[in-house]
Amino acid sequence: MPELSIVLAGLADAFTLTNLFFVFIGVVLGQFVGAVPGIGPVMAMAIAIPFTFGLDALVAIGFLMGVNKGGLVGGAIPAILMNTPGTPDAAATALDGYPLAMQGKPLKATKMALFSSITGDTFSDLVLITVSAPLAVLALRMGPVEVMGLIILAFCVITGLIGNSVSKGIIAAALGMLAATVGTDPQHATPRFYFGYFEIYDGLPLAAVAIGMLAISEILRRMGENAGVIKAGIAIRDTGNPADQRISWAEYWSCRYTMLRGTIIGTILGALPGIGSTAAAFMSYAGARQASSEPETYGKGSLHGIAASESANSAVMGANLIPLLTLGIPGSVGAALIISAFMIHGIQPGPLLFEKQGQLIYGLFGSMILANMLNLLVGQIGMRFWIKVVSAPETIIFPTALLLCFVGVSLASGGIFGIAIMLIFAVLGFVMNALGISVVIFIIAFFLGPRLEESLSQTLALLNGDVWALLNYPIALALVAMSAVTLVMIRRKSRT
Amino acid sequence: MNNMTDRLCGLFFVLFGLMLFFYLIPTQIETVDYGAIRPKTMPQILAVIIGVFGFILMVKPADGSNLQPMPWGRSSLIVAVLSGGLWLISLFGFIFMAPFLALVLMVIMGERRPLWLGLGVVGMPALIWFAVTILLERPLP
Repeated sequence: MPELSIVLAGLADAFTLTNLFFVFIGVVLGQFVGAVPGIGPVMAMAIAIPFTFGLDALVAIGFLMGVNKGGLVGGAIPAILMNTPGTPDAAATALDGYPLAMQGKPLKATKMALFSSITGDTFSDLVLITVSAPLAVLALRMGPVEVMGLIILAFCVITGLIGNSVSKGIIAAALGMLAATVGTDPQHATPRFYFGYFEIYDGLPLAAVAIGMLAISEILRRMGENAGVIKAGIAIRDTGNPADQRISWAEYWSCRYTMLRGTIIGTILGALPGIGSTAAAFMSYAGARQASSEPETYGKGSLHGIAASESANSAVMGANLIPLLTLGIPGSVGAALIISAFMIHGIQPGPLLFEKQGQLIYGLFGSMILANMLNLLVGQIGMRFWIKVVSAPETIIFPTALLLCFVGVSLASGGIFGIAIMLIFAVLGFVMNALGISVVIFIIAFFLGPRLEESLSQTLALLNGDVWALLNYPIALALVAMSAVTLVMIRRKSRT
Repeated sequence: MNNMTDRLCGLFFVLFGLMLFFYLIPTQIETVDYGAIRPKTMPQILAVIIGVFGFILMVKPADGSNLQPMPWGRSSLIVAVLSGGLWLISLFGFIFMAPFLALVLMVIMGERRPLWLGLGVVGMPALIWFAVTILLERPLP
């Protein structure tokens, strides 16, 4: 247990004017960059790290935290306003955010995203601050067999997103997993389906695939539907009702269980290395729809849909730091960048970190809470700005968005080849949308596929043909049992 | 008609599954004969799933599904413009070709107002260049 004086000294360090300024700049930068399709908070952090060389360790890490947290909020903005997610983890937000914006309530949608994102993030931070050590021990017990069970559970939860055709849903998932097999296989490092293009030896880049299928295919549809009539990028109708442009306490409070579920899912998945916020957002969304008494409202502008997605993807952020701070293991690319920032400033993450650098760590926690508060403040102003931006004519919004996607994907996935892949998947997404085959399920399967294959091969190697050895993995068995229960519940719900 | 779309879609996936299993997997993945999961295992499982569920879709089309009305012609034109633009960018660079690409796209969409055209063709590419090359110090494509 840390001494109270260390905790207070750390928090006092966090609330200095210098730290406040840099966290603020980080949040503003993160929200701006997160709103640009393809760039996202991870790349923003990677770019920002060299600029932190001259700063104090706490100020530097607080700045990076601000960038990361701001980016999570920023990613929801284009998803809601243009149906073009800035980051893959905001794709689930678009499912309800965009329909709500099209109903003339863009501010309501963006504010719900902001509030639920801050709620999820703060909850996750509090978990990190209070119970990070026991959670890290639990996370360490999650070996390949348990991860396999978790991925099976994720797939089962996501079946709730399958529409009226089970066959099409399963085909979408299989196609997504097939796309994920491109590149070297996880066990033997044998190249698969690379057709002579060495650029895809490491697999198809997620940013190119996700932005192509989710953002560009939507822009293609919208530009195609434009028959020479110039309209605003988003029509903001004056409904004359101020309630359409804000979130009331009653509306926020009505989503409390949805947000709680999302934050728990996000926190658990965030504590596990490699699962990530995209899976958390979709699992939370699917879970909320299954639990809802009005599932038919999802996909048509439900506040619960936005709250589910945003609370979960933001909750991943704080929880990602649990294995990092306690064990020195990064849970995501963003956490790996934070580790590199620690090391640049001469700090070695790991079990002794709390003992040797207690004041810094509590300063970091203070900075994280500060970043959440600033995110709320900046978001309130920033979202009005972005709504003004997308109220410009479509003729400038869409070409600009396409150019930004070109640049973003080029930066994220290595040049012209990445952009070509993005265009190919944009066409695929367009055709799949036309045929009623879920693009969302494709993306989730694409994301989870490599993890499934890797954990499956490791599990089979560990079990060595002995099925009864599974009894030695009670967490995995519990997860598989939860998967079975989830499937039964989804089936019952779909019948009613 | 709706059923026919799903049936044709199902037929396509049956043929794709077969081509995947019998042609693409053998030619595009090296044979490895050891390990719990071989490189071909997952793609083969997926090929079977795609083929089987394609067949199910063919014989039992979904209720209420239909071909969504999409602007195929104009969207194809935009894909062609983007592909051409990408090729030109690969030859001459983003900074020189992005304004032309933006101009063509804006004109296709019906924009004729000089001020908006100027903003889209000069202003936005310049802003992207400034943000990426000057502020972020990253190379443009």
